Amino acid sequence: MNTIWTLLEIPSVRLALLALLLGSVGLPIVGVFIVGLDIMPVRFAMMHVALLAIAIGLLTGLDPLLCALVLCGLTGGALTPLARRGTGLSGAMGLLMTLAVAAALLTLSISGVNANGAFELLWGSILATRPGDVAALAVLAVAVPLLYGLRRRDLALLLHDRELALCSGVAVERLTFLLLVTVAVAIAAAIRLTGALLVDALTLLPALAARRVGRSLPAMAGWSVAFGLVFNLGGFALALLFDLPPGPVLVLVGGVCTLLVHALPEALFHPIPERALTQ
Amino acid sequence: MVPSPPEPADPPEPSPPGSRANAAGLRLSAVSCRHGRLLAVDRVDLTLGPGEHLAITGTNGSGKSTLLRAILGLHREVSGEIEVAGRQARGGAGWARRRAEVAWIPQRQATGRFPLPVRELLASGGHPARSLAAAEELGVAGLLERPIGTLSGGQAQRVYLARALGQVAAGAGLLLADEPTAALDFAGQEQVAAVLAGLPVSVVVVTHDRVVARACGRVAEMAAGRLREAG
Repeated sequence: MNTIWTLLEIPSVRLALLALLLGSVGLPIVGVFIVGLDIMPVRFAMMHVALLAIAIGLLTGLDPLLCALVLCGLTGGALTPLARRGTGLSGAMGLLMTLAVAAALLTLSISGVNANGAFELLWGSILATRPGDVAALAVLAVAVPLLYGLRRRDLALLLHDRELALCSGVAVERLTFLLLVTVAVAIAAAIRLTGALLVDALTLLPALAARRVGRSLPAMAGWSVAFGLVFNLGGFALALLFDLPPGPVLVLVGGVCTLLVHALPEALFHPIPERALTQ
Repeated sequence: MVPSPPEPADPPEPSPPGSRANAAGLRLSAVSCRHGRLLAVDRVDLTLGPGEHLAITGTNGSGKSTLLRAILGLHREVSGEIEVAGRQARGGAGWARRRAEVAWIPQRQATGRFPLPVRELLASGGHPARSLAAAEELGVAGLLERPIGTLSGGQAQRVYLARALGQVAAGAGLLLADEPTAALDFAGQEQVAAVLAGLPVSVVVVTHDRVVARACGRVAEMAAGRLREAG
């Protein structure tokens, strides 16, 4: 335990811990949005868009994270018209992913910049967290719970069923736009912590665990934040203790805990079974 | 083509609950709906006076549900004119008004990938107190904290009826009910038929249930997308 306290005296470790704490507030709720909107392919697409944005940043000399935030946000918003289609977003996301990666590789090739910088961000390094990353996560830590708090009723209806929400007076298009932009920006902001490829650890895994325990939007949102804190802090502590790379350890801790939550008997969380009962 | 679905705005001021003054007429003129190349509803004309009740029967796939969804703007490929309370829906505010004027019991009740407690579903009708009272009358008040997806088909239909009664109390003048008794036992069918018959608003109910059809003043049959009034 002394090792952890000693390591926490290092500024980059403290910054990483702060980033994780802030990330544990906003990002798991974003994961709940992703699960609720059934838009899991969107996060893959955003990782690829982020790679393109990073390539553009390296080419132009702009901050890669800022480029990723802006391009992912714009792309998320542009997806809104597709979200209303019954066929979902999967096909369009496949196309977007392929195009984004091709464009990123072309950009890197034409610019002649070292592609390692871009690919490092794909893998991430929490100890390389900068104050700008923490600021982005802090904004999300305030904005996401605020969005949730202000639109809880509308969100509950939209995440349950789009048509029911429409017929209940919810501004479905506007709210979907807001959610997609939030999801896209959150994924871009989380890239530095675990890398684009492992961003699920911060967003999706807490939400998937919370889905097993909570039976309403408030319950799921609350549980996802609790799980996020446990996964992130637990994973980070283990990584520091055993001198392991934090990104993969965070993912493994989150993944194993999520599996455990799903392996536990349902009756532990809900006395009434989840599936339909007889009348 | 009916304008693309809508952005809701502020709903209209509710009228006194249960008042016949709420009842909204419905007029359909040459309404056609497509599912891609398939013509699901073919030039349907219909006039329903305020407070009138109409049952639409017909075989599966004859276009009944599509017609109801077109009235709510949930089906996109629509041509012709649809008026509720003498108004067509145009633009976001128009569709928001339409949806506030129309209570809806869907055929496939949304059981959702995301849990929604019955209490919140009832509140979404716009008049939580009336919906809760209706849930009590319909015997589903004990399910308020359960996610709607965990209910049986019959329980879910009762919950959606209770929600629709809340919508009527909140000012909806037309109720569209799509097979509201399909999952109910005989006693439940009679109970729902009686509740619908007693409503002071206009009602269009799609049904295969003779008890419900008999309780309506008018019956029309839909076949291959065409609507034909029964004698």
